Amino acid sequence: MDASLLTVQPASAEPIYRQIVAQLRRLIAGGQLAAGDALPSVREVAGFHAINPMTVSRAYGLAEAEGLLERQRGKGMVVASTRKSSQTESRRLALLEPQMIDLARQARELELPAQPVLRRLTKLLGEAT
Amino acid sequence: MNAVLREGESTIVAPLAVRGLQHCYEGASVLTGVDLTLAPGSVLGLIGRNGAGKSTLIRAMLGLLVPLAGTATVFGEPALKLGDAIKARLAYVPQQPEALAWLTAQQMLDFVGRFYPRWDNAFAKHTLERWQIQPNKLLAKLSPGERQRVDLIRALASQPDLLVLDEPAAALDPVARRELLREIALRAGESGTTVLFSTHIVSDLERVASEIAFVHQGKLLMHCSVDETKERYGRLWLPGQLGYAAPAQSLSRRRHDDGSLSLVIERDAHGHWPEAASLPGARVDALGLEDLFVEIAE
Repeated sequence: MDASLLTVQPASAEPIYRQIVAQLRRLIAGGQLAAGDALPSVREVAGFHAINPMTVSRAYGLAEAEGLLERQRGKGMVVASTRKSSQTESRRLALLEPQMIDLARQARELELPAQPVLRRLTKLLGEAT
Repeated sequence: MNAVLREGESTIVAPLAVRGLQHCYEGASVLTGVDLTLAPGSVLGLIGRNGAGKSTLIRAMLGLLVPLAGTATVFGEPALKLGDAIKARLAYVPQQPEALAWLTAQQMLDFVGRFYPRWDNAFAKHTLERWQIQPNKLLAKLSPGERQRVDLIRALASQPDLLVLDEPAAALDPVARRELLREIALRAGESGTTVLFSTHIVSDLERVASEIAFVHQGKLLMHCSVDETKERYGRLWLPGQLGYAAPAQSLSRRRHDDGSLSLVIERDAHGHWPEAASLPGARVDALGLEDLFVEIAE
């Protein structure tokens, strides 16, 4: 994996370390990262995105505690082997929950009924391949 | 003594510490009692409106001005009486560098390089090229932006233990700015360099700073970790009829024309928002640092 696979939005209200963990979760759940894949070093990620290395260490540490990553001697951080790289559908769906709650809230504020929102979303999902 | 931080068994001297700092210019208060300590290896971003007192605070911290009241130390030594050994460990880039204007960029770097035991000549040469400075042009003939770039190169090439930058972003285009941030981030992370920089570009600060300090009207409004700041504060919006429920404690409170209220609120020790946030019709939004700053500095 390359540091450019991660995106960082410094101005977001979500701290950068959380952004990184959330992306790792999605990349692993979606199978883009498989068990045993090596992660870029803290230095590579910090250098590529011009962010504080402590932030990257914190993200990796959290992902390790969560069982997403494990430390392997000589190789640094790798995607944990104990974990099935493709999780059950319900677990992967749960990762989208915050975004869906947000979308639902915005749809309500716009007084949009469910049907047109779902139609549009279905279309977008079909396109995104 | 705030200047001494305890970590485990050993005692560590804070690279920068000030207590009760006060200052004024021509009778107008600029600093009204600032306490601030930097831990080794931290990257502290100072943010504040123009005229909030950031540059004065930086200069007072380094002993470049005699404050009206209060004390400042650099690596434990009184800032007003720094010895050469301490001076060699610190690098400061002012907003408008003026020193040695009769030299060319190359001459200046060659000259000051001799005073620094860890001078990185290759870095200086390479970065002059990358930041498009003509090495043989007199410093006096460079634009203010180019002048500050040369001074940034001087500061970084000396490989200081303490790096202090006053509004470094103003002189750099986005590409060079990103390079500077990368240098700051990696040096702090790998060499343990302590960094203090002031900026009004909040996203720069969010990338590399480990801590943030809001300076407002000569006071330190807030000093905490960047991540914690983002997680702890939010904006609560209450419609007019819920105004009675507004928590008494909030960092800022604004009433809008339609009677609704916006407040900056803080989570309690268990991570919960104040009760008013869960009332029907109330709404809590996460706040980025820039929004938070605008809310409390207005």
